Amino acid sequence: MAAPTGGTQGVSMPDPIHQFEINRIIPIKIFGWDASFTNSSLFMVIAAVLTVGFIMVSMSGRSLVPNRMQSVSEISYEFIANMMRDAIGEGWQKYFPYVFSLFIFIFVCNMLGMIPGFFTVTSHIAVTAALALLVFTSVILIGFANNGLGFLKLFVPSGVPAVILPLIVLIEVISFLSRPLSHSIRLFANMLAGHITLKVFGGFVVMLLGAGGAVSLISPLPILAAVALTSLEVLVAFLQAYVFTMLTCMYLSDALHPGH
Amino acid sequence: MSGPADDRGSGGSRKPPDDTAAFETRLSELEEKLGKVKAQRGETRRAETDGGAGGRGMAYGMRMATELVAAIIVGGLIGWGLDRFFGTTPWLFLCFFLLGFAAGVLNVLRGYEKLRKDIAEQTGGNIGKSVPDDED
Repeated sequence: MAAPTGGTQGVSMPDPIHQFEINRIIPIKIFGWDASFTNSSLFMVIAAVLTVGFIMVSMSGRSLVPNRMQSVSEISYEFIANMMRDAIGEGWQKYFPYVFSLFIFIFVCNMLGMIPGFFTVTSHIAVTAALALLVFTSVILIGFANNGLGFLKLFVPSGVPAVILPLIVLIEVISFLSRPLSHSIRLFANMLAGHITLKVFGGFVVMLLGAGGAVSLISPLPILAAVALTSLEVLVAFLQAYVFTMLTCMYLSDALHPGH
Repeated sequence: MSGPADDRGSGGSRKPPDDTAAFETRLSELEEKLGKVKAQRGETRRAETDGGAGGRGMAYGMRMATELVAAIIVGGLIGWGLDRFFGTTPWLFLCFFLLGFAAGVLNVLRGYEKLRKDIAEQTGGNIGKSVPDDED
């Protein structure tokens, strides 16, 4: 099919976007909507099963002096509990299951994505936007449920002259509406960019080796970069889960104590 | 430095335990050792938090950037939608674009305020003051 090219052509770059492709595993159609079980869904299920399984197994002993697995569960509990205590303050306990599930789900999804060949759920904006909108709507509902119309005080900062108050309220509303956008884009962009960079550096190795001759001698260099990037990516995977949860806590704090 | 060490070596086994002078030299030596260990531990801990702060700083940087851009986009979209609704293109878009920019700056300032408070808590309010043993 393709015309034979000279030996100087070398190996072409592997497509760095290919890893984000969604494949239908079990096609399902509900009222004309495509609700297929995809590889993305599969990895979400894996993340959920892994988390629940790990916590159930690790906490089954419930010993006073925890073993290693129980310690991991307890440390993650304390990590989230401390974060919520600091950020939300009074009344954080009620929302602990929600925030804990969010953090663990995002963290496990990010970490699963670090395993070569695995799909990174959080590198799709559809997933992160769904999570961010979940936080956004729940903050609005919790805010109105706890404070009634007092929740609207969130948009009216105290001590502002009446002349510029309409302008300030407008700005506050735009600031509030921008939350789900920045919330979802940050997680998605970080994961996407990191994985593309890794893939590109991996591709360099193949290209340099394919070029042959003296050029292939420098092919170990991109491997070193990829190794360094991998460790950075592990840090980013944790940090982004942390930042997402931290912001959720701050938004929940706004919903519970809107007076600033 | 070999004097006190010899003293301890010979005195520890022979002298009775109620010899207060020997006991005190031992106590002070132990305290000195403990101080060294504690100082070392403090240094490694500080190094760890510095490393963590680097990663966290990057995350905060990304956060500020997305928050600024997101507010501008949302402001622009609201203006664009209202313009289409009222048929006033492009005036509402321009106004809301600017309002979105203001909201973005507000987001960044709030985020910064929070970050400053967090770091002040961690370091005991020593931000922006030069460290005494800084390289000159």
